[in-house]
Amino acid sequence: MSSDLLNLTLRVWRQAAPNQPGEFRDYRLNGVSTHMSFLEMLDVLNEQLIAQGEVPVAFDHDCREGICGMCSLMINGQAHGPDRGTTSCQLHMRRFRNGETITIEPWRADPFPVIRDLVVNRSAFDRIIQAGGFVSVNTGNAPDGNSVPVPGVRQEMAMDAAACIGCGACVAACKNASAMLFVSAKVSQLSILPQGQPERANRVLNMVAQMDKEGFGSCTNTSECEAACPAEVSVAHIARLNREYMKAMLFADH
Amino acid sequence: MNALLRVLSLPAVFLSKIPGLAPVVRACSTSVGQKFLMAITGLSLIGFLVVHLAGNLQLFAGEAVFNAYAEKLHSLGPLLGIAEVGLFATFAAHIGLAISTASMNKLARKSSYALKETKQGLFILPAGGASSWMMVTGLLIFGFLVIHIMDLKLKKGFGVDYTAAMNADNEAVNSFQAVKAVLSHPVHAGIYFVCLIALGIHLSHGIRSALQTLGLHHKNWNFALRTLGFVMAWGIAGGFISLIVWALGSKS
Amino acid sequence: MFRVASDELNSRVPDGPLQQKWDKHRFNMKLVNPANKRKYSVIVVGTGLAGGSAAASLGELGYNVKAFCFQDSPRRAHSIAAQGGINAAKNYPNDGDSIWRLFYDTIKGGDYRAREANVYRLAQVANNIIDQCVSQGVPFAREYGGTLANRSFGGAQLSRTFYCRGQTGQQLLLGAYQALMRQVSTGRVKMFARREMLELVVSDGVARGIVVRNIENGQLEVHTADAVVLCTGGYGNVYYLSTNAKGCNVTAAWRCHRRGAYFANPCYTQIHPTCIPVSGDYQSKLTLMSESLRNDGRVWVPRNQGDRRAPGQIPEGERDYYLERRYPSFGNLAPRDISSRAAKERTDAGFGVGESGLAVYLDFRDAIVRDGEDAVRKRYGNLFHMYEKITAENPYQVPMRIYPAVHYTMGGLWVDYNLMSNLPGLYVLGEANFSDHGANRLGASALMQGLSDGYFVIPYTIGDYLASTQLPKLSDDHPACTSAKKDAEDRLKKLLAVNGRRSVDSFHRELGLLMWDYCGMARTRTGLEATIPRIRELREQFWKDVRVLGSGDTLNQSLEKAGRVADFMEFAELLAVDALHREESCGGHFREEYQTEDGEATRRDDLYSYVAGWEFQGAGNAPVLHKEPLIFENVKPSTRSYK
Repeated sequence: MSSDLLNLTLRVWRQAAPNQPGEFRDYRLNGVSTHMSFLEMLDVLNEQLIAQGEVPVAFDHDCREGICGMCSLMINGQAHGPDRGTTSCQLHMRRFRNGETITIEPWRADPFPVIRDLVVNRSAFDRIIQAGGFVSVNTGNAPDGNSVPVPGVRQEMAMDAAACIGCGACVAACKNASAMLFVSAKVSQLSILPQGQPERANRVLNMVAQMDKEGFGSCTNTSECEAACPAEVSVAHIARLNREYMKAMLFADH
Repeated sequence: MNALLRVLSLPAVFLSKIPGLAPVVRACSTSVGQKFLMAITGLSLIGFLVVHLAGNLQLFAGEAVFNAYAEKLHSLGPLLGIAEVGLFATFAAHIGLAISTASMNKLARKSSYALKETKQGLFILPAGGASSWMMVTGLLIFGFLVIHIMDLKLKKGFGVDYTAAMNADNEAVNSFQAVKAVLSHPVHAGIYFVCLIALGIHLSHGIRSALQTLGLHHKNWNFALRTLGFVMAWGIAGGFISLIVWALGSKS
Repeated sequence: MFRVASDELNSRVPDGPLQQKWDKHRFNMKLVNPANKRKYSVIVVGTGLAGGSAAASLGELGYNVKAFCFQDSPRRAHSIAAQGGINAAKNYPNDGDSIWRLFYDTIKGGDYRAREANVYRLAQVANNIIDQCVSQGVPFAREYGGTLANRSFGGAQLSRTFYCRGQTGQQLLLGAYQALMRQVSTGRVKMFARREMLELVVSDGVARGIVVRNIENGQLEVHTADAVVLCTGGYGNVYYLSTNAKGCNVTAAWRCHRRGAYFANPCYTQIHPTCIPVSGDYQSKLTLMSESLRNDGRVWVPRNQGDRRAPGQIPEGERDYYLERRYPSFGNLAPRDISSRAAKERTDAGFGVGESGLAVYLDFRDAIVRDGEDAVRKRYGNLFHMYEKITAENPYQVPMRIYPAVHYTMGGLWVDYNLMSNLPGLYVLGEANFSDHGANRLGASALMQGLSDGYFVIPYTIGDYLASTQLPKLSDDHPACTSAKKDAEDRLKKLLAVNGRRSVDSFHRELGLLMWDYCGMARTRTGLEATIPRIRELREQFWKDVRVLGSGDTLNQSLEKAGRVADFMEFAELLAVDALHREESCGGHFREEYQTEDGEATRRDDLYSYVAGWEFQGAGNAPVLHKEPLIFENVKPSTRSYK
């Protein structure tokens, strides 16, 4: 449990406003404990900047336990840093070496415009869900929870997809800035469960149409999204989206 | 780029006028739909390659057998013409879709990262494995296609001596000798070799990717499917390369 | 320190037998006819379980809803981090559950400081919540045959908790979020993300709107409506270190309080027993390990003081499983307040483990031997994974080290049975209100309450208010709006103008430490009396010496934090006053003067069986206490025993 201290150089993307040009700025940060989380390290940097009279680095974060999906950092060219199945807030400084230079960039994708520094706008994801990522059941309409059995194995599959935290790492890591893993996670979850059946065909058609409209790229099946996903959502769900889409395209009652 | 896209979308506009097809055409114009068409045209082209390779392996059986096979093909007449048109259309569609999706992908990230690393550690090729080289290898294959048609369809290969293949009227009708002449030419053999390696790379991602795009993904079958894809990709590339080795060997 | 008002707060609980109150009340309430609903507008602040479900349900009914959240998407509200599960008395396991038992357990768990009628209604509608969520596609755990699975949880002796692995809050929130997104797509709900509420607009004593700051560009916006529904969560971050998300704050509630809404029972704060201990002074938050771990994990410390051996080298005979020893019938599943205090008692006495001595072991050795590592992995895999990521220790091999941390706040704005505050038109739902958990909340009850309020209570009660109230039109340039906007603007300018030497975080940390030390797990009169002036001093210093860089017209996270901390500074004082005034120990409020010889809490029902609703009288001025007596007609308050 003993802690080592690191001296680091941080190359951080600074951008004052959405339409202004940004640039990298280098900061020295000494005495970083290896027990710190990555975001705590940024907190320390910001305290140092405030003391020096420089405006602190803006970065999105909230729950700091890897579930809210708010944090979104490209750390040394990897979404959420080097670990698999980990968000930036759960990444710890013990993963870095003394003397290292760490490059920190925002997610880069045209549908995710930068708002300031490392903060991007991910409302495109909300609009994709609005296009069909739901079950149309008004409050009060529900039958008893046990009235439709869901085999444990199917429920587990749905849960694997539902675990998506909507952080956008899949888009950030994909060389095409494709949102297929995000979209497929919701399509997959609801197409596996009996509750999602009535809207199954339209859901996939509408969500894909919205995804395109937002300007995300297409899927080249490199599986980089799966490697970057902190919730470890599998590309198997992309294959399921493809099947769902094909079926809907060919056989749905339009 | 927009003008080009408009031209490329003409067939789709035409097809959407056919009653009942509109929803399908619309669906095919989305990113997912385009990837389907990529997959289907890609797999069709692989089908062609398999047939082509099966025919060409008859080179090993000697001049008489191979020329008889070539004769038989040519005797198909208009059927062969239709097949060729179909083949070119498939090629054109595959390439057109590649340009369309690639431009979509470029537009999705206009300013790129200062530093980008993969989280997948298994790649032999840099920049994220074969998938990152589809455009480059695709262009190489396209270039190869042009040379290949010059060499063996039009028999106008640059610097190739077709003498052995000629009949009395100076027409290069002996297919066996024409192939041998091209493949034994060191420059052509070199180009063919490089392009076939590119083909192997292209297919090693292409087959796997096409299967995933078509929704073939199941934990019980993934290993078998991936192995099959890999074996097919390098089987096809290796099969063609074996012909170059054969030609170079039999020259001496 | 405070004044007592002569009036009593009217809870508006309907008459009649407990089981029929809600049914009868629903019949008596006025309805807004379907065609008229579109003429009414409702503001919902916050999009967690309460806010998300309320906004979606009100949109479905046909109201014009405007929903607000400070995160970049409504899906990120902190409800998402709830791990363990949600209670309902479905009695699927056939182990003796009933609505009455859920009601009873919740009232008892809350140490008899909650309103009977509210808690009974909560227990009644809990079953509907499960059904609703299943219909939305929430992937609750299932048995192999396809029926819903249940597990047991702290404070109950049966299995009534529904769960989605260790991510129940996430899945329930996504269900509500998706329902909300559906309403956004129909146009019934307008969603405003990255907006922070800075003021409540009150016109003629009625809540009519809010002032928000657009976090992206700093613009202040006024939004008016016929009613305001506040679903802005709890105030645990007054302690700086808590399991809450970094953004959780008291500002929305405090701004309403300053405009006249009473704040009830702020001293009821829940300290969760199973969190990862603090590792350094840079620490920004504490991570909870779900209470469900106590189903299979055994809590212990060494029997000998200052035993520094590795846990594996301490033989069975030298281990003190203190929860099993003190509470044989509930054992490791004793309620949160009791488990937390027991841990504090052991560590204070010098039996703590780890570098700081501020930790106890949560050991899975026996469960692994009994059920196998795979079974344990299946149940808690993601939690073990998370623990290992944070601490770099493998809990399959060495016991987890845990320590209590601030987790939930039972106190909140005072509301009546209809969930309306004393300010007409201002409704408060979820953790932001005080209503259902009394002095201590049982595990898996927060999700139940948030969704109950949003899906099944507010849709009925708000209609009654709207149908029976005449509300004049209110334009954005009405003096009530412009003055609220100006207040917000002035405050932001003032924060930016201080330009002192200390960062916002440094003040927040200092405040948090003060609160934790003197107003945390155990409180004393002398400690509290000494703390209140120190809070005031710190507040003065804050306004003199805080340094907020940057400007107000761009995204400025320091400015956001500064506003929140400024409100925590005022709120902290009220929390301490409430803790000082309540001279008894109950639930999450433990006054060292009031305990039995063996350290159990001593409640004083004769003097303190009431809800304390505090009225604001200006910052630093003595607040006025309004009491709502708690009347128990159906359960008899007894000494809570888990022995």
